[in-house]
Amino acid sequence: MLLSPFLGPAMPGALFCVAAALIEYFFGLGPALTVMLVGLVIADYLFVPPYADFSVFDHSDLMLVVSYPGVTLFIICLIERLRRAQFRAEMFASVSKSRYEMLLRADNKRALRLRTIDETHRLLRHLPHYHDSIILIQALDRKASLRPDADHAAGTAHSLPHTSAPGSRFSAVHPADIARLQNTLSPGSHRLRIRSGDHTYKPVDCVGERFTTHAGDFLVLRIEA
Amino acid sequence: MLHGLSSSPLEMRFLARHLNSEGFTAFAPVLDGYSAGSPERDMQAWVDAAVREFDSLAERYARVSVCGLSVGAALALAVVSKRPTAHAVVLLSVTLSYDGWAIPWYRFLLGWAYYTPLRSRWRYREASPFGLRNEALRAKIARAMQRNGISEVGPSTISLPALREASRLAKRVRASLAGITTDCLIIHAIDDETANPRNAHDVAAKIASPFLRTIYLDDSYHMITSDNEREIVASETAAFLRESEAARGIGSGAESLVVSKALARRLRQLAALGS
Repeated sequence: MLLSPFLGPAMPGALFCVAAALIEYFFGLGPALTVMLVGLVIADYLFVPPYADFSVFDHSDLMLVVSYPGVTLFIICLIERLRRAQFRAEMFASVSKSRYEMLLRADNKRALRLRTIDETHRLLRHLPHYHDSIILIQALDRKASLRPDADHAAGTAHSLPHTSAPGSRFSAVHPADIARLQNTLSPGSHRLRIRSGDHTYKPVDCVGERFTTHAGDFLVLRIEA
Repeated sequence: MLHGLSSSPLEMRFLARHLNSEGFTAFAPVLDGYSAGSPERDMQAWVDAAVREFDSLAERYARVSVCGLSVGAALALAVVSKRPTAHAVVLLSVTLSYDGWAIPWYRFLLGWAYYTPLRSRWRYREASPFGLRNEALRAKIARAMQRNGISEVGPSTISLPALREASRLAKRVRASLAGITTDCLIIHAIDDETANPRNAHDVAAKIASPFLRTIYLDDSYHMITSDNEREIVASETAAFLRESEAARGIGSGAESLVVSKALARRLRQLAALGS
């Protein structure tokens, strides 16, 4: 109202057009159309002479009613198209993201499998190579290794739990050491008493190795060469 | 496993078989008042029936996960919000509002039509593409629909009261989303013709699950358990259930090892985003 002497009644709808375009850009089609219609009414009421009066409908009113909605609708439609294309592109991006994650998980699985295959091969080579020095092969239960108390409950002195198989040197180990092994068998080096004469036992360095195969985990205890 | 509105457990068949072969026990109940062939009841009755089924399973099994397709997914959310002890929840094509591209723009009129005499007469007629992108399957379904009025992917018509109850259910589920802390997997097709992917996006944004995974598919429509990517749906569901078990320290720990460096990087990224 204050500016009207300077600007005059030129382009009464321009600012409402910008407002509707902004609303479309940020909020979508419905609000933008509402703003456009409300803007049309306000522009006609306040910015087209005679001001604040609906009763007169002349050429300048007609110009506004024709040009403003036309231009605004055109711009809104263009922006709406872009918005839809953008939404579509975002959806495709999320598809590719989920595909990538699936791929990574599958790859992880493949890597795990590959590792167990390698381990199985290592075990298969290991067994005949050290056949004469193996004391004990034990199958490790993966779940049991998470629950340490379960290990202590198993087995008495001389009988092995059913998850173990004696190796070729098993009978030469001191019985007390076997009893000790029941509870404390772990990968790494051990010191066991091995029979050397008729009744004499000699401490010997032994090594336990763990193999993660597809059939389960195994621990092989052998005399260190 | 909860199937879609006025449908039958048949639509979960493929997924159930896959889960079964992976060592899970799958159970797809028929809910009185919700499934096809039973007289319609209000959504409270649906939720009660689903919760009853959940309780009877929870008596027999240590861990029970809930899986739902379409409106069944909304029902699954309602179940886990009542039973936070559920192990995980899997939402397939979650439908909180019918706003996909095949739904006509005048769909909002249905809400008002409920109060008119149309209520008992008019039925929403399922039309091609029946939620299927696979054309061979679609043709087969169209024949079954004509012959029997029901098929593997749902009934040929849905009554108006059932649709209204579904939207009431959706409204309630929306309000309860922020309180759900069950592990959650969301699978949605971006070309879903019944429920816009915005449904899945909204749920993912609002739900408070610590372990949340969202997967978008682009070669399926609404019935993702029967469409082109059903193998992906099945294998990802099984993998998610396993990982969610491993994340809680049950099951075999070795399964959840991360060997791939790329995956480790990606997980770190996700964790950084989440915090």
